Amino acid sequence: MLFNSLTFVVFFALVMGGYWSLQSWGARKNLLLVASYIFYGAWNPPFALLLFATTSLDYWLGARIAAAPPESRKIWLVASVTANLSMLGFFKYGNFLLENTKWLLAQAGVAYSPPHLDVFLPIGISFYTFHSLSYTLDVYRGATQPTRSLRDFLLAVSFFPQLVAGPIVRAADFLPQCDAPPTPLKNRLQWGLFLMSLGMFQKVVLADTLLAPISDSVFGHPSPVLTLDAWTGVIAFSGQIFFDFSGYSTCAIGAALCLGFHLKDNFLFPFAAVGFSDFWRRWHISLSTFLRDYLYFPLGGSRVGAVRAAFNLVLVMFLGGLWHGAAWTFVVWGLIHGICLAVEHVFRGLTKGATWKETLPVKLALCLLTYLIVCIAWVFFRASSFPAAGMLLGAMAGKIPVGQAILSGREILQVGLVTVLLWFAHWRLRDTSLEASIARKPAWLVGTTWTLMLGAIILTQGSGNAFIYFQF
Amino acid sequence: MHSSTSNFDFQRTIPELPWRGLLLATLLLTAIGTAAWEIRARSMGYAPGLNDTSDLWADRREAVQPDSIVIVGDSRALFDLDLDTLEQGLGKRPVQLALVGSCAYPIFENLANDETFHGTVITSIIPGVWMVPGGPPLENSKKALKRYHTRTVAQKAGHHLGMWLEEHLAFMRQDDLTLDQLLKRVAVPNRADSYLPPRLPPYFSTIARDRDTKMAEACVRPGPLQDRVKQGWIPLFTPPKFPDYTPKEVLEEMAQATEARFSETAAAVNKIRARGGKVVFVRFPHSGDLKKFEDAGTPRAGIWTRLLAETKVPGIYYEDFPELIFDCPEWSHLSGPDAVEFTKRLGPHLKTALDK
Repeated sequence: MLFNSLTFVVFFALVMGGYWSLQSWGARKNLLLVASYIFYGAWNPPFALLLFATTSLDYWLGARIAAAPPESRKIWLVASVTANLSMLGFFKYGNFLLENTKWLLAQAGVAYSPPHLDVFLPIGISFYTFHSLSYTLDVYRGATQPTRSLRDFLLAVSFFPQLVAGPIVRAADFLPQCDAPPTPLKNRLQWGLFLMSLGMFQKVVLADTLLAPISDSVFGHPSPVLTLDAWTGVIAFSGQIFFDFSGYSTCAIGAALCLGFHLKDNFLFPFAAVGFSDFWRRWHISLSTFLRDYLYFPLGGSRVGAVRAAFNLVLVMFLGGLWHGAAWTFVVWGLIHGICLAVEHVFRGLTKGATWKETLPVKLALCLLTYLIVCIAWVFFRASSFPAAGMLLGAMAGKIPVGQAILSGREILQVGLVTVLLWFAHWRLRDTSLEASIARKPAWLVGTTWTLMLGAIILTQGSGNAFIYFQF
Repeated sequence: MHSSTSNFDFQRTIPELPWRGLLLATLLLTAIGTAAWEIRARSMGYAPGLNDTSDLWADRREAVQPDSIVIVGDSRALFDLDLDTLEQGLGKRPVQLALVGSCAYPIFENLANDETFHGTVITSIIPGVWMVPGGPPLENSKKALKRYHTRTVAQKAGHHLGMWLEEHLAFMRQDDLTLDQLLKRVAVPNRADSYLPPRLPPYFSTIARDRDTKMAEACVRPGPLQDRVKQGWIPLFTPPKFPDYTPKEVLEEMAQATEARFSETAAAVNKIRARGGKVVFVRFPHSGDLKKFEDAGTPRAGIWTRLLAETKVPGIYYEDFPELIFDCPEWSHLSGPDAVEFTKRLGPHLKTALDK
């Protein structure tokens, strides 16, 4: 079930009505659990069973980790990590592994033709695997105690607002909220609905209507395009993926808030990032902090010497790239980010204490540089293959002497306007929050903006696409 | 207790504003704005009615029974065949699977590969469209088929809710009045050497839940809408020019794909026939400059004749029968009343062809 669908509007209204009319906290949680499984099962009912099985296994393993003597706790953790990653590996990376094995054997002169696994990827598997895995990891680390309630843990993993495309909500952040009914909070429902409207506007108007058709034209064009068209297409995709994913996260946060649950921000104005470490503090924060806490820090983080720390950064981003998709193009995307993080790490060490870095012109220049490299990296993320990425990069660099002008003047202007406004908004908001900014605005302006957003959503007539991150 | 060490105390802040009043005002203004847009849409000649979506098509594909009479093809089969009249003529209500702007070969192939299907397929052939090796005409059919194969319970439910809204609201015209379509009307100069796809003709038909389609009255009468639709055909039917630098291999691959369509069609026909099914090809009326354009680009002696010869499928070319020659108001499709009459006259020819 998509947030941007009429089905979800009816579903959410029914869930909200039932949830707030029930008095018992246990009954409310039961309702949310059933609703979450219906939400997920509406895609493919058998995969709801898979979700239930993996979550139940982690619930049981969490209890084993907590009860085990220190010397054997690791065994149970390894069992949990192995089970989760094996499932992810089978469904998401099975064919990728087989294809690469075939290629490697062919290099060694061994002819091997593995059968293609006819496996259907369960939607959101990368997200809910991490939701669930965070629990056993946190119990092992002592960051949380195991819950006694299977129902609460099932709800923590399957809670429908964040189930299929994040934010990656850690069990340790969600389970405490299951202890007692939400405390009364003035205007929670209205603010939640405002956030849902904002998220929907980002998704269906900005991403799907204003940017996606243009990036699709450029990335889907079979022959070279002109430099202007190539850059416009890549910049359009850069905005599209932000509005698409940030829109989903904002909807999720708003929907959760309407139900009395508090989810943390997943995006903080990333287009105003000055450098790559700043970018990853602002982009898909729930993933970057997950990788930091459960991978980068255990590898030694930045306390292990410059070379090892740089290697750790590249390794983490390599895996981060692979998490997004079973293709080498995603790996290259991750490696570009990893290398940039490592270079920045070294650069920071060399310029420690320098005040010139904090001047506005330098920050703006670094912000622009970050944006450009991020855009170049998106080419690998979006392109269907390396030759396609190469052709587009060649066009962007003006290295392809021939090419077609495939975008209209209106489309180029549209991407330019949206991007300039996006940049301006992010730069203005980079050191504050959405809430603080809105609190400073007059009520009439907020109301007018809200009305215009809803009007634009209605004008799109629900012709939007699935969220990009669903496929991950 | 499970949170003794995590102490999650994060709570989202809510900006201090009069939110209750804001919500009410927003809902009221949005309702007023929507009502105003609805009135404007009706004043522009739009009426409530369904959109021809992939979901609507998938509904019909699901309705195909093993012995159904199925119509596949392009928009001419959609506009020119009246389902009630055809039901009277053939004794069974056909399932309408023709699709606007599409090469129907993937749909034809899908029926051929459906092991349960042994019915009758009435197939519209526009030679240049049936043979396309790629591009939007082929993608349109594939998109509809993909929806049929993959749509979820939630999508079906959303489709039924959407149909209810479309049947009551005139502004819900996905081909014409969405934000995306409205933005396309903004006049911004293009670069001189731009290669841009032609605009599709604007709203000029109505469609029922069984996809029985009729040309809109405003398009039947001579006037600006009819002129706009007419002027859209030739750019739409003109294949894109390949850039000079297009690799020779790419051109060769496309030529091979086009050539292969003959044998692929024959193979699909044989599969249907092997199960006892029947196929007939129909060339529907077209007129004016569009007819001159099609006759010059894809003369009858070319693709049409070879397709019949290689597939051994009976064909009905409208020009062979004076009673089937009609004038198309916008050169490509028949008006609603003409479609009824055309279908009535076509019925006996279809029976004869299918009895062969």
